Amino acid sequence: MTDVVKDKKIVAVKGTSLWKDGLRRLKHRKFAMVCLVIILAYFAVTAFVYVAEFFNWQIRAVMWTEEVGPSYQPPDVKYVFGTDIFGQSVLRKTIYGAKTSITVALCASLISILIGVPLGAIAGYFRGVVDEIIVWIYSTLSSIPYILLILAFAVVLRDRTLFGFRLTGMVTVYLAIGLTSWVGICRLIRGEIIKHKDREYVLAARSYGSSNARIIFKQLLPNVFHLVIIDFSLRFVSFIHAEVILSFLGLGEADKPSWGAMINDARIELARGVWWQMAAATVAIFFISLALNIFGDALRDSLDPKLRMQ
Amino acid sequence: MLKKVFLFITILSSCLFLIVGCGKDDGEQTSSDNVIHTALTGKITGLDPANMRDWSSGVVAGNIFETLYQYHYLKRPYEAIPLLAESMPIISDDGLTYTIKIKQGVLFHDDKCFPDGRGRELVAEDFIYALKRIANIKNISQNWSMFDNKILGLDEFREYTKTCKTRDEVDYSWQVEGLKAVDDYTLVIKFKRRWPQFIYILTDPSTTAIAKEADDMYGKDIIAHPVGTGPFKLKTWHRGSYIELVRNPKFRGELYPSEGEPGDEEAGYLDDAGKPMPFVDGITWSIIAEQQPAWLLFMNGQIDSKAIPKDNFGEAIDSSMELTDQMEALNIRLEKFSDPSTYFVGFNMEDQLLGNNKPLRRAISYAVDRKRFIDLFSNNRNIVADGFLPPLMASYNPEIKKKGYAEYSNEKAKQLIEEAEIINKGKIPLLKLGMPGTGTSYRQMGQFLKKCFNDVGLEVEMLYMDWPTYLEKKNSKSLQMFVSGWIATVPDARDFLEIFYSPYWKAGTKSFNYYNPQFDKLFEQVEVMPDSGERRELYRRMEMVVMDDCPAVFINHRVSYVLKHSWYKNYKPHVFQYGLAKYRRLDCAERANYKQFLKKVK
Amino acid sequence: MTAYIIRRLFYTVPIVAGVLLLTFVLFNLVGGDISLEIAGKNATQETIDEIRHEYGLDKPLFLSLDSQFVNHFKNALVFDFGRARDREPVIDKIKRGIAPSLSITVPMFFGVVFISVSLALLVAFVRGSAWDSLTLFICVAGMSIPYLSFILFGQYFFAYKWGFFPIYYTPGLSLYEYAALPVLIGIVTGIGSNLRFYRTVMLDEMKSDYVRTAFAKGLSTRKVLFKHVLKNAMIPIITRVVLAIPYLFLGSLLLERFFGIPGLGYLMIEAIGSRDYFIINAMTYISAILFVLFNLTTDICYALVDPRVSLD
Repeated sequence: MTDVVKDKKIVAVKGTSLWKDGLRRLKHRKFAMVCLVIILAYFAVTAFVYVAEFFNWQIRAVMWTEEVGPSYQPPDVKYVFGTDIFGQSVLRKTIYGAKTSITVALCASLISILIGVPLGAIAGYFRGVVDEIIVWIYSTLSSIPYILLILAFAVVLRDRTLFGFRLTGMVTVYLAIGLTSWVGICRLIRGEIIKHKDREYVLAARSYGSSNARIIFKQLLPNVFHLVIIDFSLRFVSFIHAEVILSFLGLGEADKPSWGAMINDARIELARGVWWQMAAATVAIFFISLALNIFGDALRDSLDPKLRMQ
Repeated sequence: MLKKVFLFITILSSCLFLIVGCGKDDGEQTSSDNVIHTALTGKITGLDPANMRDWSSGVVAGNIFETLYQYHYLKRPYEAIPLLAESMPIISDDGLTYTIKIKQGVLFHDDKCFPDGRGRELVAEDFIYALKRIANIKNISQNWSMFDNKILGLDEFREYTKTCKTRDEVDYSWQVEGLKAVDDYTLVIKFKRRWPQFIYILTDPSTTAIAKEADDMYGKDIIAHPVGTGPFKLKTWHRGSYIELVRNPKFRGELYPSEGEPGDEEAGYLDDAGKPMPFVDGITWSIIAEQQPAWLLFMNGQIDSKAIPKDNFGEAIDSSMELTDQMEALNIRLEKFSDPSTYFVGFNMEDQLLGNNKPLRRAISYAVDRKRFIDLFSNNRNIVADGFLPPLMASYNPEIKKKGYAEYSNEKAKQLIEEAEIINKGKIPLLKLGMPGTGTSYRQMGQFLKKCFNDVGLEVEMLYMDWPTYLEKKNSKSLQMFVSGWIATVPDARDFLEIFYSPYWKAGTKSFNYYNPQFDKLFEQVEVMPDSGERRELYRRMEMVVMDDCPAVFINHRVSYVLKHSWYKNYKPHVFQYGLAKYRRLDCAERANYKQFLKKVK
Repeated sequence: MTAYIIRRLFYTVPIVAGVLLLTFVLFNLVGGDISLEIAGKNATQETIDEIRHEYGLDKPLFLSLDSQFVNHFKNALVFDFGRARDREPVIDKIKRGIAPSLSITVPMFFGVVFISVSLALLVAFVRGSAWDSLTLFICVAGMSIPYLSFILFGQYFFAYKWGFFPIYYTPGLSLYEYAALPVLIGIVTGIGSNLRFYRTVMLDEMKSDYVRTAFAKGLSTRKVLFKHVLKNAMIPIITRVVLAIPYLFLGSLLLERFFGIPGLGYLMIEAIGSRDYFIINAMTYISAILFVLFNLTTDICYALVDPRVSLD
């Protein structure tokens, strides 16, 4: 007997969580890593602009109001992206535009996650009447085409004083996009929670008296959080694009440069053959969208439990 | 089962295709039609004269409806001449009674609201009916303010309509003292006070005659079923897209004027003198909100005339402000004309900060670089506004430039800001400026103005809003500063002065909320004066009073550059008259050949 | 089965009610008093009051039988949307806008579906290869360019500079002329995300056990794809396709605006610019109804097709 036992090799396999495993696999995808770098670069630029503005640093790259040259200069060695109607540098405007567009996307994402995740969790966990109500709310919202909903919200919320808080410019945009985009993540979370809530680990937690809140926050949500991250990365792109469309409709930041505004200006500028503002903004949006899309896909593939076998 | 689903989708889509295929296309437009093709940027709100305040609607309606008087097409300065009236009105000595004889034999358009569908003869009562319609509160007429408290007995009629519960209850036979048809062709109007501009009011489309039959038959839908007496009738109206008018076969006829001003003969405007109008068979207006497509349609010969968009200016006009060779080669002609307008950044005089701080207001006026503004936003076409009365007005003061109200000086501005800070007992806080739009042009203007303010140390926040919101805020006095413009609709400077007269704006639209008792007294004096040298002097004095108080930064007066093709004859710009299509003539053969001509030139 | 259908039908009622509630809150409560805007310039208080009376804004909000709330519901049920700001009945505007909108969205729809599905099949053949990656990259790249840029670019080069298509809608143009460029742009932009989706669906199916069995049996890729995969992949594909149909009626807002097509999308944009709540209200309600109806249809078809779907 002992001989057989001795012959058996006891292999200790270090347990890996979904995250560790996923991240390991993600690291192997070189292309996705490159995209991550690009994404971080954009965020870094945004942060930089915020800091520079806050401390009032006179850094040339951020001073987009400075007249660097004559009106409507095409791109050349001196003016890398050309100038606009006031002779301001399009390059600097593009850099500043990152701040506007990324802030919109971040705020809208935050709002939709802050609404969608808790509601989804509550609906999925408690079921019953609460679930019916929440499902009714988001079914109603999702019956209305996304763009109509955003427009309706934006038109109505513009310049109103809601609960004593005055709504202006960008806040309207954040709210309009955020309030209409939480449905997707809510549905997702709800579905996952429903699947998980009858699993053994949850029953176990309940058996030793964990409160509902504890179960939701400490047990369930961490297990479904990877979906939130994936959803976030993919939805971020749609928010950046939504800013462009809202800007076209006259909603959004009017005083400061934004990529949407730059593309919109092209509507009248193309007549004079001025293509560089639109080009710069399009290129900026292109790279961040591409990076986020690829990275989001890679993330999803890496975190997909079905693929763990590979 | 899947097959059934497929089938369902196929059937559904075939239905959709059918709908699409069926809903199509009436009126192939060809360039050899004797029809004027033109474009509008704003949509037409409606063709009901009682409710017409926007320019686009007036432009179209002016060809369908006729008024008692019209402006002479060619003579300048602008003068009113009879149209449906027989002659100029007989005015009583006290100026309170107008007796107007109307022409006989004028017929309404054939329309199904008349028995047998045949238009009946126009009578004096129809004009009275029209005015009563405007007074009728149930019609919620936007034109009522023109007649408020002017005609004897009309306000009482309005009060009477308030007591009626529905539109149908209103009895139009209710007698109005100041509107009487002595016989079928004589109209007697009595006022409460003298109204020297009344003759011009009678050229406004809102005073055209309305046939009661049309009103009864169409009710609210009369906005799409205009029944007038003019040279054209409505053919089709695809709302928001295009509108077509067609020649009225029963038009009583009118002759092209035989006199004009010096220069008209050389320009070819008297070629058709004495000939019966109209010359064209119809007019089509396409509603094109974007400038670019409209411009390209013009270059392609599909539109007969176009104002030059600011971004295509360089293509059409060279640095000496004349046509480029390219345009000359295409036989395109240029018309330059000023219109009686002023563009400004207005101050809300009831604002705590601005209203009591004249140095601050004067400082802002010094800080705005008007010349650069004109260069950037109107291709250097417009002229600097030294006062607020445009040069077109007879009472324009040629000496006003010397007063220096439009001077640009950052030093003077900064000095005045120091004074302003003393009055304000502290630094000037963030100012707010409302813009009536959110599009690119408005943003560019906003950015420019912001720079001007920042250059003298003032902080300003630009508030971009859509037009309805802008109007609402301005009217509720919640805008501290606002960008706007004003245009005269009659050749009398009173149109400009009345916006500063406090009893008027208190009861109506708010803008500057300007109150100066001296000005009010002068206004009451000139209101009842007919045109004269003395009145013009008073107008100028009043302008000075206002300019000294600085209720706005007056920026520029507009000069329009319009291009027309060589085949579009008798096109003389007229800034007051609606309904000019009857004078125009087309050389259809030339237009039809344009496409080939284009290819050759290119 | 019928019980399921009836239950699903009943479930649409609270949804529609929810939509009506939302529009009421948005446009009557939060939106504020629009009578001032309707009155326009130079309006006196009496005019404003008259307008409020005419539009029923002086009625109590909730509590009576004739309240605004009740009227809102009543009017929606009979499709009476009243008159828009410019006094034309809203329903007339909608009726007029349907045909032009569909003339753009329907060809776009067919184009996108056929091309995307075909390409997805092709890509399934070469899965894993460089072509596959390239296709995916092109899709994602296409999705990364803002829609507005596509439109401006297309309009500038194909219409303005090279003159292949008319730049803008004018009354005299035939359907094919004015719809060509917008449809083209719409198809090009639409392929990206659709192709990616269908590809994913196909490839997911190809990973299943039964496909592996089929390959093990020695079936060619072509047979596997067309006999097995396509049928199973059809369910998500059809779901997506059918659910896209309600959006056809909305018209493509941006394409219509840029090319001047007088459809429902153009109507919506104008309504937004002029704050015409009546129109926005009507359009929201109608789209919601359509959406609900098509959802219902899909669910029923699902239930009929797939025995695995539970009828609960």
